[in-house]
Amino acid sequence: MKYLFNLTFILLAALVLLFIVIPLISIFSGVGWTGLSEAFNDSEIILSVWLTMKVSFYGTCLVLLTGLPLAYLIARNDFRGKAIIESIIDIPVMLPHTAAGIALLMAFNRGLMERFFSKLGIQFIDTEAGIMIAMMFLSSPFLINGAKEGFKNVDPKLENVARTLGAGRFSVFFRVALPNARKDIINGMLMMWSRGLGEFGAVVIIAYHPMIAPVLIYDRFNSYGLSYSAPVAAVMIAVSLTTFLLVRGLNNRKRA
Amino acid sequence: MLSLRNIGLQKGSFTLKKISFDVKEHEYFVILGKTGSGKTLLLETIAGLHKHTGQVSYRRRDITAIPPEKRRVGFVYQDFALFPHLSVVKNIRFSERYRPQTSKVQWDELIDFLDLGDLLQRDIHYLSGGEKQRVALARAIYSRPDILLLDEPLSAIDPSFRNIIMERLKELKQRFQITAIHVTHNFHEAAYLADHIGVMMNGELVQQGSVQNVLHHPASVSIARFLGFRNILPGRLIEPKDNAHYFTVNPALIQISGHALENDYSIRGICRNSNEGLNHHEVMVDADGCVVFVHVPKRNYDPGLIHSGAAVHLSFPPSAVTFYQTSEELDEISV
Repeated sequence: MKYLFNLTFILLAALVLLFIVIPLISIFSGVGWTGLSEAFNDSEIILSVWLTMKVSFYGTCLVLLTGLPLAYLIARNDFRGKAIIESIIDIPVMLPHTAAGIALLMAFNRGLMERFFSKLGIQFIDTEAGIMIAMMFLSSPFLINGAKEGFKNVDPKLENVARTLGAGRFSVFFRVALPNARKDIINGMLMMWSRGLGEFGAVVIIAYHPMIAPVLIYDRFNSYGLSYSAPVAAVMIAVSLTTFLLVRGLNNRKRA
Repeated sequence: MLSLRNIGLQKGSFTLKKISFDVKEHEYFVILGKTGSGKTLLLETIAGLHKHTGQVSYRRRDITAIPPEKRRVGFVYQDFALFPHLSVVKNIRFSERYRPQTSKVQWDELIDFLDLGDLLQRDIHYLSGGEKQRVALARAIYSRPDILLLDEPLSAIDPSFRNIIMERLKELKQRFQITAIHVTHNFHEAAYLADHIGVMMNGELVQQGSVQNVLHHPASVSIARFLGFRNILPGRLIEPKDNAHYFTVNPALIQISGHALENDYSIRGICRNSNEGLNHHEVMVDADGCVVFVHVPKRNYDPGLIHSGAAVHLSFPPSAVTFYQTSEELDEISV
């Protein structure tokens, strides 16, 4: 009985793991070493991958600035409408990405918002700013929810003690709450950033150019077929996987 | 002097109901109460961490609206609440940025007083309960508070270390000129440390006064029960003054004899049972259907007089007795 249980569960678990791993292996084996090194020397690919990582990082930083206060307020307070606010944060996760792109386009490229941003010299159609709002809109829940959990796990008594020791609210946030929620916040940033790297549906509607990696993959696949798009995909996967594992490893090594 | 007037507050399942008391300068005030009676909430309120009704004043100044960081109170939680991301020494020195620095001499005195020399560079995750509590105390004292708030500071500590911390707490007020408010459910702590005691039940301060007064003469039957009084007896047994409904009597002050003693209250009863304790025998005597507990010192224990079924007289002086008129508590008393 015990063996039957273990066997069934391990078998089923292995199946889903293989399902995740096999496509990754296939893309690298399909592209091969030569293909991969050629791709790494293809400036269009490298620029596109760099653009993707850079813009997603900027978006993550912007959401960090506004999302941390939001996450902290939700974690520390009970107020009327809190459930509604928490649902609003989760909305982007369930939207079709193309629909989100259309919504962003209608919000930022018309009327008051459009006039406001163009006064600041910011345009969204086919610009990095457009790519960034698309990435931010769809992946911000990962950062906000991660930070919220992080803050919830910080014992409010620590903050109470800090206040009696003379620390004001800002000081308590920066010296007690933030360092103790650091691990969850960094994980949330990482999740948001990685999620942003893969954004396609919304980006393609707002900014086909400059091409981020997912758009470049799609573009090459449509115009030239699999053999041209696979190396881009391989480079993108290699770079983002390395960054992801590196940051997560560093973050988990130190005790939060 | 710290004065609380009509402090009221509702937070989750806890309430504080119009709490008023005064704590004099450099006094050690212990609030006794069961878990869930609102003791922690009261301390946090004194620290300024909750909005409340009523008024808190210190040295005749109304501090009700003053935020915690400006109140000069030190807080020590039951579970220590040490900052997990900081070392021992950084925990203790946390307040340095906001409060005038303590001199080297005072620092050394503090470290010496709480015997922290060997712990300073340690990671707080590897400290024992007693060590953590000493660090938490040091951190609070280092911020040079006027008032130290101690929330069950001894209950999460091994008994062997508890006495050391108790002694340190006892020395606190002279050494650092601190006024202390300590909440606990432990009568021994209260008796050992307190100058004054308050008893808290269901969010209400039901009695306050000197240690002697509160621990020996509880103001109501329910307080007597909370304080662990064994002999809560109906008044009819001794025909007391004012027709009091109940009285309590200290088991150690009851004398068992074959005949009634003069000038004392006296009850007749039948010996039922006897348990041998460390220093005394606990004898249970049936008096008109009520069980009276008597502590007989071992040297006075006479098996000829005290045995199951023996008819005895229980005598005790009026000073050992407290009377209660409280008829509203009739229902919940079972004697």
